[in-house]
This record gives sequence, C-alpha cells and structure tokens, in this order.
Amino acid sequence: MIRFDNLSKRYPGGLEALSNVNFELDAGEMAFLTGPSGAGKSTLLKLLMLMERPTSGTLLINGKNLNRLSRSAIPTYRRQIGVVFQNHQLLTDRTVFDNVALPLQISGYPASETGRRVRAALDGVGLLDKETHNPLTLSGGEQQRVGIARAVVHKPKILIADEPTGNLDPKLSAEIMAMFRRFQSVGVTVLIATHDINLINTMDERIMHIENGMITDDGAHHDHH
Amino acid sequence: MMVPTMTTTEKSSRETQQRGATGQKFRLGDRWRGYRAHHRATLSSSVRKMLREPVQTLLTVLVIAIALALPSAMLLALNNVQKIGGDLESSSQITVFLAKSASSTAIDGLALQLEDLEGVISVTYVSAEQALEEFKALSGFGTALRYLDENPLPAVFLVQPLLSGEAGVSQAGKLITGIEELESVEDVQVDMLWIQRLNAITQIGEKLVLAISIALGIGVLLIVGNTIRLAIQGRQEEIIVVKLVGGTDAYVRRPFLYTGTLLGLFGAIIASLILIACVIWVGRSVEVLASLYQSQFELVGPGLSGILALCAIGAMTGLVGAWVAVMQHLRKIEPK
Repeated sequence: MIRFDNLSKRYPGGLEALSNVNFELDAGEMAFLTGPSGAGKSTLLKLLMLMERPTSGTLLINGKNLNRLSRSAIPTYRRQIGVVFQNHQLLTDRTVFDNVALPLQISGYPASETGRRVRAALDGVGLLDKETHNPLTLSGGEQQRVGIARAVVHKPKILIADEPTGNLDPKLSAEIMAMFRRFQSVGVTVLIATHDINLINTMDERIMHIENGMITDDGAHHDHH
Repeated sequence: MMVPTMTTTEKSSRETQQRGATGQKFRLGDRWRGYRAHHRATLSSSVRKMLREPVQTLLTVLVIAIALALPSAMLLALNNVQKIGGDLESSSQITVFLAKSASSTAIDGLALQLEDLEGVISVTYVSAEQALEEFKALSGFGTALRYLDENPLPAVFLVQPLLSGEAGVSQAGKLITGIEELESVEDVQVDMLWIQRLNAITQIGEKLVLAISIALGIGVLLIVGNTIRLAIQGRQEEIIVVKLVGGTDAYVRRPFLYTGTLLGLFGAIIASLILIACVIWVGRSVEVLASLYQSQFELVGPGLSGILALCAIGAMTGLVGAWVAVMQHLRKIEPK
C-alpha cells in the first residue's frame, strides 16, 4: 500500500532530512514510526501527504508513483488519506459536527449522506453528544478524538497520525491507540509517528525506528501479518 | 474511498452502518445537488462573515458605493445635458430675412420654393407688421417704437429644418447655402454653431466620464482586493486545514470570490440609492428652473435598466478584484 523506494529528501541549505529510505507497508497493516525529534519522522509523513516532494527516489501509494502526481491531482489524492495531527488542526469558528463534516463537504457529498457519516464517525469516537459544541469547549483528549473522527469520516484507505497522543495522559493515550487499532481491524493501513515508546511496546505492532534521516530498524520482522 | 471488507466478527452498529453507506456510489444528480448546496452554504457563510464585522464591511461597501456613484452621476448628468441639447436642437429654426423690395408675388413664390427644399419640415411666414407687433409686445420698447417713421423690421420666413444628430447639423449647413441663393432673400440667420459646440462639449464630457470611470473602477478593484487579502490572511489556518483534507484550489477560492462579488454588489446597490436620492433632490430644482423657461424638461433618472447595469458592473468588479487577490495570495498558503 505504501512503499518508499530509496527515497531522499534534502532541504535547501543542505540539510538531508531523509536519506535512502526504504520500507513497505501492506494494506491493512499498522506500524509505528519512532525516533528522536528531528530524525525525519515529520518529513516522512509530509511526503506521504504531498506537503513535500522527495529530492530523489520514489514513493508508491497503492502502486501509483506520487512523483508523477500533478499539483491539481493533489486534492483527490489527499481525500484517500486520513490525517490526525498533534495539534488537532480543528477550526474554532464552527461546531464539532462541521469540523468532522469538512472532508465530506469538500468532496461534495449530499447533506443527508454527510449527516449520516459524520454521526457515525462521532459515534465511533464516543462524541456523538458533542456534535453541536465548539471544539474549544472540549478537553484535549476529546479534541484529539474529533480530529480522528474527521480523519476517518470519508473512509480513507490510509490513516496517518503525527504524535496523536502527544499531549495526553497514559490512559487517554491508550484509548486513542485502541481506536486506531479498530480502524486497522477493518482494513485501513495505519502509520503513526510517536515518541511514546512505553505505550507502543505494549501493543505488539510493527515499530520502525528512524534516526538522522535513516531507517535503522524497519520492524518488518515484528510484523505479525 | 472504499472500505475493505471487515474481517473481525465483532462489529459495532456504527461500522455496519458505515460500510452500508460506502457501498453505494452517488449519482450525478446527488453530486450536483451537493455542489449547489455547497454554493448556497458558501454564499450564506460569506454574508455571515461580512456581518460579523459590520463596521469594516460597511466602510468597504460605502467606499465602493461612492466610487461607483460618482461616475454614474456624471454619466447621468451628461445624458440630461444631451437631452436638453436634443430638445433645443429640434426647436431651432432658420430665420430667412426678406428683401424690403420683395413683392407679395415674389414672397408667395419664395414660400413655395422653401417648402420644396430638401430637409425642410415647415415654413412659417411672419410679415413685417406681425414682426413689429411681436417685438413691441416682447421687448418692452413699445412706446419708443412709436417714434419711428417706418417699420424697420423686414418680413421673415421661419424655416424648421429636419435636424437629427451630427449629420442633421451638416445637412442644415447645406440647406442654409441653398436658401441664401434664392431670390429676394436678404439674409439667413441660424443658431447652429452653439449646437455644434454643445455636441463637442458633451463629447469631451463623455471621454472625461470614461476616464474617471476607469480610474475609480481600478480603485474598486484595489479596495476589494485589499479586503480579500486581509480576509485570506485572517483565514490562513482554515485554508491550510481545508487543503490538508483535500480541498481543491477552487473550493478554497470560492468563499473569497463570493465575498468580493457581494461587496461589489452591495456597493452598487448603495450607489443606486445615492443616485436616486440625488435625482429626486436635484430634480425639484430642475423642475422650478424648467418652469421659469416654460419648458417641459424633466430630469431623467438612471431607470431600472441603469440600476441593473450598475449592479452588474459592481458585482463583476468585485469578482475581478477578489480573483486578482486570490490568485496573488492563495497559492502561497500551503500546508507546511
């Protein structure tokens, strides 16, 4: 589903954020990406989101080469991916419902369908009763769950999360991780960047380690699929 | 956007529901309805956002309104001047002074000759006696004229030429030379020159209005552009999120284009109101003036078509201004 082929990313000024990264993630697989700050985790996720383009190498998603994707094709590509951000990226000028509905509105879903799907997604993260609230009135954990609902409302094939438990206590973090696992169990490919080694060690999933822009352990042997 | 088949036996009702929803593809009609609903939602949210900052919005709209009202008022004034010119043009006559020596048969012959000339609508004969009576009545020199031994005024023909537009004026010129060549004609007088002058002046006025319209039109573009630029900066965060979840450039652009169009349209509506108020206000004074000249002249307003045209121009200018601003600033905002 996701394949990095000898991929490097060099920023202007010579900083090599990623060098010769190779790994593959199967459809329906779940993997964690760990490593110290500045090791290249964020860059890797940004390449997946097409927020950045690689300097060399290829990135294949579902067999398609992302390098060949034109600027105008980026929105369609992003609609196939769900992203959970560390800082939620929720819009505070609208309700929880409207935040979650955003990906569907963008894709032009009819209102009835949008309502159904948004409520289903909010139900899935246990926030159905908060749909009319403003995200600002929710706790950190709830905000993160709204972010997850928004990431999965359009049923992406791939779910990416950048430090989704960054600001949460261990109990909430475990809940969030359990949620990701549920999506994986229905066939979504899940890739999560995190520092939370203690948490992911308890989860028995593939762990990839990245350091200085290089994958030092791609965790493939832990793969139980 | 498909969900793979579920492998786990444990399914929540939500997941079952979700899968059921993905199974069906939308029909084109649904897409179109969704698209239209989105346009409606964008329009109403643009209006709400404008109302959320009423002072800022009102100021912008007023500036646009003034910029639109000024050239419109000048154009309207010009139209009215042209109308006065037209009215007077059609009432201008050629006065043909007859030689004192002309016999009554010669006068009758001349009348027929004049009527036969091309471009003549009517010919009226005013005898020397009639002319004197008229002069006595109108000039107020009645008593002084009694001391004259003989009537100093000649008999005249008042010739009403066919005058329409600039061509009419040059045609009238030919007519005059024709009349001058006729026998028994002493002199021909006509006040054509001022009509030509008026035409020339209104032409300058038209160019002036055009120049001012262009200048103020650019002003409106800049005002709208600046307002939209600020709006884009204020919604940077939202734009980034929308782009991250797959919003196209068109989707991101749309609310700003609506805002620009609405600003232009509201500006034009207020400009129309200003214009109508001015016509009513000035119209009263014009009426008084016209009645002093025994004229039926009435000030012409912008009319419904004029107002609609102004609104269309305002909306278009707003749209173009927003488009320029969006093109300049939106591409720079990319998720980083």
